[in-house]
Amino acid sequence: MTDFTTAEWADITPIELDDGSNSEAMPLATIAYPPEYLEATAYLRAVMAANEMSDRALSLTQEVISMNPAHYTVWIYRAKILFALDKDLSEELSWLNDVSLKYLKNYQIWCVHHTRQSRRAESNINISSRHHRQVLLSSKSHFPTFPPKEADFLMEMFAQDSKNYHVWTYRHWLVRHFKLWDQPRELEDVEALLKADVRNNSAWNHRYMLRFGPRDTSPDAGMVNAGDMTTAPTDKGRLPLVDEDVIDGELKFAQEAILRAPENRSPWWYARGVLRAAGRGVGEWEGFATGFVSEGAVKSSHAVEWLADVYAESGGATDAVRMLTMLKEKYDPIRKNYWDYRIRKLDQVA
Amino acid sequence: MTTPEASFTTERHVKYYLRCLKTFLPSAYTSNDSNRMLLAYLTLSGLDVLGVLETKTTPEERSSYINWLYHCQVPTGGFRGFPGTDFGSDRRNKDNEAWDPANVPATFFALVNLLVLGDDLSRVKRKECLEWLPSVQRNDGSFGELVGPDGSLGGARDLRYCCCAAGIRFVLRGRGDGLEDVPDIDVAGLVSFIEACQTYDGGMAESPFCESHSGHTYCAIGALDFLRRSSQDLQTLPLLSAGSRQFEALTTWLASRQTAEIEEPEEDDEEEQPRSLKDPLTDQINELPDIAPLDADTITCAGFNGRCNKYADTCYSFWNGATLVMLNQYGVVDEVRNRRYLLEKTQHLVGGFGKGPGDPPDLLHSYFGMVSLAFQGEAGLNAVDPAMGTTERTVRHLKSLPWQ
Repeated sequence: MTDFTTAEWADITPIELDDGSNSEAMPLATIAYPPEYLEATAYLRAVMAANEMSDRALSLTQEVISMNPAHYTVWIYRAKILFALDKDLSEELSWLNDVSLKYLKNYQIWCVHHTRQSRRAESNINISSRHHRQVLLSSKSHFPTFPPKEADFLMEMFAQDSKNYHVWTYRHWLVRHFKLWDQPRELEDVEALLKADVRNNSAWNHRYMLRFGPRDTSPDAGMVNAGDMTTAPTDKGRLPLVDEDVIDGELKFAQEAILRAPENRSPWWYARGVLRAAGRGVGEWEGFATGFVSEGAVKSSHAVEWLADVYAESGGATDAVRMLTMLKEKYDPIRKNYWDYRIRKLDQVA
Repeated sequence: MTTPEASFTTERHVKYYLRCLKTFLPSAYTSNDSNRMLLAYLTLSGLDVLGVLETKTTPEERSSYINWLYHCQVPTGGFRGFPGTDFGSDRRNKDNEAWDPANVPATFFALVNLLVLGDDLSRVKRKECLEWLPSVQRNDGSFGELVGPDGSLGGARDLRYCCCAAGIRFVLRGRGDGLEDVPDIDVAGLVSFIEACQTYDGGMAESPFCESHSGHTYCAIGALDFLRRSSQDLQTLPLLSAGSRQFEALTTWLASRQTAEIEEPEEDDEEEQPRSLKDPLTDQINELPDIAPLDADTITCAGFNGRCNKYADTCYSFWNGATLVMLNQYGVVDEVRNRRYLLEKTQHLVGGFGKGPGDPPDLLHSYFGMVSLAFQGEAGLNAVDPAMGTTERTVRHLKSLPWQ
């Protein structure tokens, strides 16, 4: 904690928190602030009011961030100081790595008292710190090319929580910013993570983005080719140019994953996305899906759903209803209402 | 052995919210200091959903709360998320105003808070706020959260900001009377950005090509819902139109979020043998074990997760459920099992809800768990407007304002 009684801070008059007591206000969501937070933020307001770009302000931001990492201006202020004082941004990144990984560990220690830790391993990197990294790495003069250590940091983060949304979103940004589409490391990391947990839907999504994401600088799109108002609705989700070898390779990859864990929804959905991107229908997998489904014995409920879609698309409403009924009555009763909805839609068509 | 059906413990929830309103939140909330406007919303709206806001607070208290909300208004329009960035209007100048900016989510929640408390928004810098709104929109249609130093746009490209921005526009612009000289946001651009966030599995992601996520899906549909309420030509958007591929894929994805997997098992007993496709495919499939049919009677609870292959979490009963309400598709939900999940697994003894079974209650999960039950008509809870995230009573009050 900073000692604000030293000569370094003598010229600063802290600005106390004004919670509205002078305007006949009764504050809402009052928090029992620790005294050190109140003191540090009072000095932060003072240096911000002076728009001070200094080393002491920089270290103060670190202190406030340690207590309130969601503070939405302290990170921007910190970034501005870093650039104004021409600081070594690699050092900043190592500090960020430390706090990202340290927060997680502390959080886990704290959580053991409440519940099993793994389900709580989240949010050590928040939207503000993630954005801060992006701001730093966006500086072309400091980072003209991809700093390879970033990939190691990401894998360290994934070792703690392989589905952390902020880390994946950041990785996505890195791919786009540094054009890492064909960097072998990207796909290698995705495959290592899927090997460790074939149900890691975040890794599946990243793979899809690497394979099918638009590579130019135009606004990108979620489904392939979806982001442009001039695209006809029927073309959304479809690639303008298809490399059939890539498509076949991805379908084979999905099939291997399904054989490892047939009830894992991720590769089934991935395959739908791949087929859609190629303009090839779900019917192509009818044979594959049929292998999982026979009367009275089912090896994957997702194969049953797949067949329902195949039959529905090809006008086989009766067979489709038979599949949907199987899901409703036997393999997925929680979604009974949803399967009924699907059955009603087929009835309407019929 | 039969256990009596769990019930919503209204009195305890009221006590929980009153404690949050009238006493200090624990120090652990310090890391949420910048979200005080959101915490205030969860508290006030929570009491409103419970129908006790006006009986458990006095008119004087409510008027003082309103004063605090206006205390958080930034001189140039919009609201800050907490008083902590305010270094005093006498010190504010062009060089330092970026450190005390209006914030998009905070502005939306401040407006909702004012409406919940019955304020007529007459002290809101309405025109200034609406003029600020286009300045936090990017060329691609998405929104950031604030204007940073040198007019830069701060914040990620994130559907949360899009939803809150559309909400601010909905509350303050209304029919647009008298605002002819105030530039509107780029509505077509925003719609286009939102549509681009739909992923290959049908859900919506924070940004294009990120992973589909229920919280962001709610924000996407919430934003479109706000926009369509004031624009006839948005009624036929594919994402909002039953029968379109986008709509049906989204419905499927949302329905798939309901899950009986509510806790991580002690250990994973499933052995996965990596296979190659060397052997004929059919042989390999034949070697796989059959899956056992599920006996519906043995599954008592089913909450919602926020992403594929994740465990259930109280707040996702709201994010998914509210989205389905907006799509007029709540019928696909298994209401009974969702109710049991919330009441038997995450409702806390002292009132409020935790994130998962055995977790202590917190404001966010308490509010969203309760509102999920309100969507299902739980006795004693007021009806909630899904996009506004607050009671229909409050929305009626909004609709009574002169520009609406």
